[in-house]
Formats: sequence, C-alpha cells, structure tokens
Amino acid sequence: MLTLAIPSKGRLKDNCNAWFAERGMVMEMAAGARGYRASFAGMPEVEVMLLSAGEIASSLLAGDIHLGITGEDLLREEAPELTGRMQLIKPLGFGFADVVVAVSGAWIDVATMADLDDVCAAYAGKHKRRLRVATKYAQLTRSFFAQARISDYRIVASAGATEGAPAAGTAEVIVDITTTGATLRDNGLKILDDGVILKSQAQLAASLSADWDADVRKTCESLLNKLDPAAALYPALAAQLR
Amino acid sequence: MPAFPYYDSKAIEALNGQAVSLLGLFASRGYGREEPAVLQPAEIFLDRSGEEIRRRTFTLMDPSGRELCLRPDLTIPICRAAVEARRSLPARIAYNGLVFRHQPGEPHRPMQFFQAGVELLGLEDRAAGETEILSLAVDALKVCGLSDFSIRMGDLTLFNALVDALALPVGWRSRLKRHFWRAGYVENLLHWLGHGDGQARPPVSRAEIEALLDARADAPLAGRSREEIIARALDRAAEAAKLRLDAKVADAVAQLLDISGPAEEALAKVRALLATAGINLDPQLAAMDARLATLKSLNIDPARVQFTAHFGRNMEYYTGFVFELWAQDKEGPVQIAGGGRYDSMMEMLGAKKPVSAIGVAIRTERVLATKRGGT
Repeated sequence: MLTLAIPSKGRLKDNCNAWFAERGMVMEMAAGARGYRASFAGMPEVEVMLLSAGEIASSLLAGDIHLGITGEDLLREEAPELTGRMQLIKPLGFGFADVVVAVSGAWIDVATMADLDDVCAAYAGKHKRRLRVATKYAQLTRSFFAQARISDYRIVASAGATEGAPAAGTAEVIVDITTTGATLRDNGLKILDDGVILKSQAQLAASLSADWDADVRKTCESLLNKLDPAAALYPALAAQLR
Repeated sequence: MPAFPYYDSKAIEALNGQAVSLLGLFASRGYGREEPAVLQPAEIFLDRSGEEIRRRTFTLMDPSGRELCLRPDLTIPICRAAVEARRSLPARIAYNGLVFRHQPGEPHRPMQFFQAGVELLGLEDRAAGETEILSLAVDALKVCGLSDFSIRMGDLTLFNALVDALALPVGWRSRLKRHFWRAGYVENLLHWLGHGDGQARPPVSRAEIEALLDARADAPLAGRSREEIIARALDRAAEAAKLRLDAKVADAVAQLLDISGPAEEALAKVRALLATAGINLDPQLAAMDARLATLKSLNIDPARVQFTAHFGRNMEYYTGFVFELWAQDKEGPVQIAGGGRYDSMMEMLGAKKPVSAIGVAIRTERVLATKRGGT
C-alpha cells in the first residue's frame, strides 16, 4: 500500500483537491475515519491520509509515508539537507509564499543583508547581547544568515504572530512567511532587498527513507503517470530510491 | 572515536593517570582546579557567542520551561563565575572535564570529550601572559609523554592593525575585521575595494534622513534609537562617496593574508609586503618575535613552528594571539591543543572593564590516542 499525505485543512487542502480533480482523480473519504483517511476512486492501492502541513513534512522525513503534499518552506525547515532524505517530485503551482527577512520600516539605513550585518555587530557591541531574530524557521534562518556572513544574532522561537515581535519588543528582526507583504506592511515592517530566503509553493514530495517495496514502486509509477503523463516523474524518483 | 564513547577500566585508568600529571603541572604553576556545572543556563552561550557555537551546543528545556545547555566549553562558565565572584586578578584557574558538542554532518566524531586546560585572567602584562601560557601548553604535552608535535600560530591583532592602517571609512574597516574569519569573503571584499568601480552616490542631508524617518513614524524602532538610525544613515551616505582602496595596497593585504609557512620565513615575507604597502606594524611583529623566542627557549625546533597570517579565522571569541598544537595519530594530523587570547570575553560576561584573558585547552583523549598509535 502506497501512502500519500495531503493537508487536512485550509486553502492548501482545497487547492489539493482541485488539483487532483483536474487530473480526473476524485477523492472519497473513508467511512468512519473521521475525515483523516481517504482514497481515490479506482485506486484502492493508494491510501490517502489527511494530516497537518507540518506533520506531512516530519512524516516524510521520518519515512512514515511515501508521498506527501505540503509547502516547500516546511520541507526545507524540517530537513535543511534534502539530499538522500526527500525528493521534491513536482511543484504544484499553488500555495505560493515567500520566506523573508523583514526589519522595521523605521530602519531607513537598512536595505540589505550587509546593512543588517553592520547593525547586528553594532547592536552586540553596544548592548553586550545579540540582536534577536524571531522566527518559526530556525533552520532556514540559520543557513541563510550564514550564507550572508552574519553571525552576531540569536534566534528566538516564535509560536505565532511573528510579525508583531518587533513592536512587542520580543525581537528586533523577523523571518516569516508572506504572500503579498500586506501583513508585514501593516506591522510597519519591510522586506530586505536581498532578504528573500525561499520562494515557496506546494510540492509533491517523496520520502527516501520510507519502505519502497516492489508493489509500492509499481503503484507510485502508475500514480505519477496519471498525475503528469508527459513529465517522466517516476524515473527521476526511482533513480533516488535505494 | 565513536559518537557515543564507552570508557572501559583501562581507558579510565589511562585518562585519570594523565589528568593527575596535567593537574599536578598546572598546580605547580599556581593554577588551582575548578569545576563549573555540566548543565548551564543556555543564555550565556547563546547570547554571548554567535550562531556557530549555538549550532554545536546541545540545548534542552527544564520542566519549568527554562532553556539549559550542556557546556560546549569550560572557558565561558569559568569566566562567568570569575566575573560574578569579582575574583581578585590576576586569577589562575585550571580545569579538567567533559564538554559536549553537536557535530553536524560528522557523525563519526564524539559528541562528548574531555578537555584539560588553564585560564589566566587579568594579567596586565600581555607578553608575560603569552609566554606563561605557551610554556605551560608545551610542558603539558611533555608531562603527557608527547614530544613529537608541531605548532601553528597567528595573531588576530595583526590583521586588525593592518586594516586600521588602510585609508578606508571606519564602517568598512570594522566590516573587514569582523569578517576576517571567513576565508574567501575578505579577499573578495579587498578585490572589490581595490579594483571595483567604487561608484559615488549623491550626498544625503540630515534633514532628508529625518524626513524619511518621520514618514515612517508608525514603524517600531525595534531596539535602536532614532539617533542611532540617523547617525548610521549619514555615515553610510558619507562612506559611499569615498569608497576606494589603492589597488597596490589591496593586493598587498590579500597576498599577506595568504602567507603561511615556517614562522621565521613567513614573518620575513610579511615584513617585505608591509614595506611595499608602506604600512608599519612593528609592535605586532615584535610580539610575534617574542613568542618565537619563547618557543626556542623551550627547545622547540623552529622548523616545527608554523605562522599562518589568516590563522584564527574560524575561532569565534579569540581576539589576539592564537595557537594550536598538532600531532600525528594513525589517521593523520590531529589537533591536540588550542588556545589564545580572548580579551573581550570578561566584559561580554558583565565585567565593568575589559580584562586581559588567555588560556589553552588540551584534548586529552587525543593525546592518549596519539601516543598509542602515532609515529
């Protein structure tokens, strides 16, 4: 049995259902499963699980499911090094969002990551502690800041409403997800010119650590061919499977 | 060494025996052993050191939600205790204990290992402090029965003094110094400064900047003062107007960063390059000569002393003289000790003024392994 996880709620779920429907695949909820299990009409060998977007990323990493659809931001945060652990099979053209570095609009002297680096160093020198970056994306932030050669900062974990952290005084800078930038602007924040960490969208991804027996591989091949007959998605995945 | 080492009775006996010799030597030089807690509040490591140390620090939450960590080194907790206790200075402190470090991408490396070492805090005579610590490091390996080792050294003040001698705006100078430890990056910056177009931007007035800021009155200042923001915006505008470095000087500095080799030859090359660029760093070079003289007096073969101009780059909290001792085990060269000067640490940890600080840490398990399998 091939397991495929899709988001259990919100716009991502609706977009997913529409995307499958466009490809002639109708989802049927399993009886008595309280909406957490489903299947595709005529494809009994594919088990569809409805999970939260974050759970899908961690289940792919753990090898608990074969395939999953979730945001690329969550996948890359869960597994900073995708190679050998997960394979991105296909971007799906919805769920667009950018993970960005944003600072106060009042920081008129800060437009780039290089400016932020100067400010981080000046802040550490003056206050004898590091400037705080609030985020749900600690891994993405750490590697992006390392690439930008910034080391004088510290990450504070944000549980929600990250955009409010600079005004609330719990952090000076944020790394957050944005689609239109409106929420950031409403909070007096601006995105740095070179502060886009990831242009994310929903991805169909495979776990490379799941149990890929011969039956599962066959099911996967026919599923991927049905989803995109022209793209030869399966051979690219099969090359990564041990 | 496996990721989760198991110490059998023979290993423990060997380690303990070596520790007794080391701590005996340290005590004979006035360094009494102290021991900070293994479990530490996380902030002192996470706030005072950069993400590089944070990345390698094991953190955990206690049941009340307080963030703790396993000590990634002994230097920081020892310094913090010294600051909090207002220790009379100079203070001489020895330690021997486990440290814990996550080894991302290197699963075969141990995540816990023993370090034995000393910290010399608050000795104003820096040259005397360096001689004392360098001698102690060399003698420590000797009491462990290891005489076949080489030394690599450098000095972070050399690069800082060099940058200060350049005709660059102060912001750019501090940027170069700050990024010294990132191999490649500084070289690229220097090339850009010497050979780039150095485009001038139109001047900006204070009034214009204030108007910009007033237009964003709704936005939070986020930890900075209005004046701080204005001052930096003005500096940045002024810098942009005069950002250029003589290509000959930029190239000389880049070449200098590349110098590495037997210390006496390497320092001669440094002197020649500085003369070409018209830069005087005599005090820094004299300090380097004094360290070489110390090693000579300890009967270290000068051929085994290496000077590397960019040495110390990847070590976050050192501020001046840095050194490493290397030996061979059965897999190749292995670092068995490292140390240097970290003059800004005590102030970072709350001391009212800067305190001279220098120390060395010995990887005791590696020393044992070297003696077992080395040449």
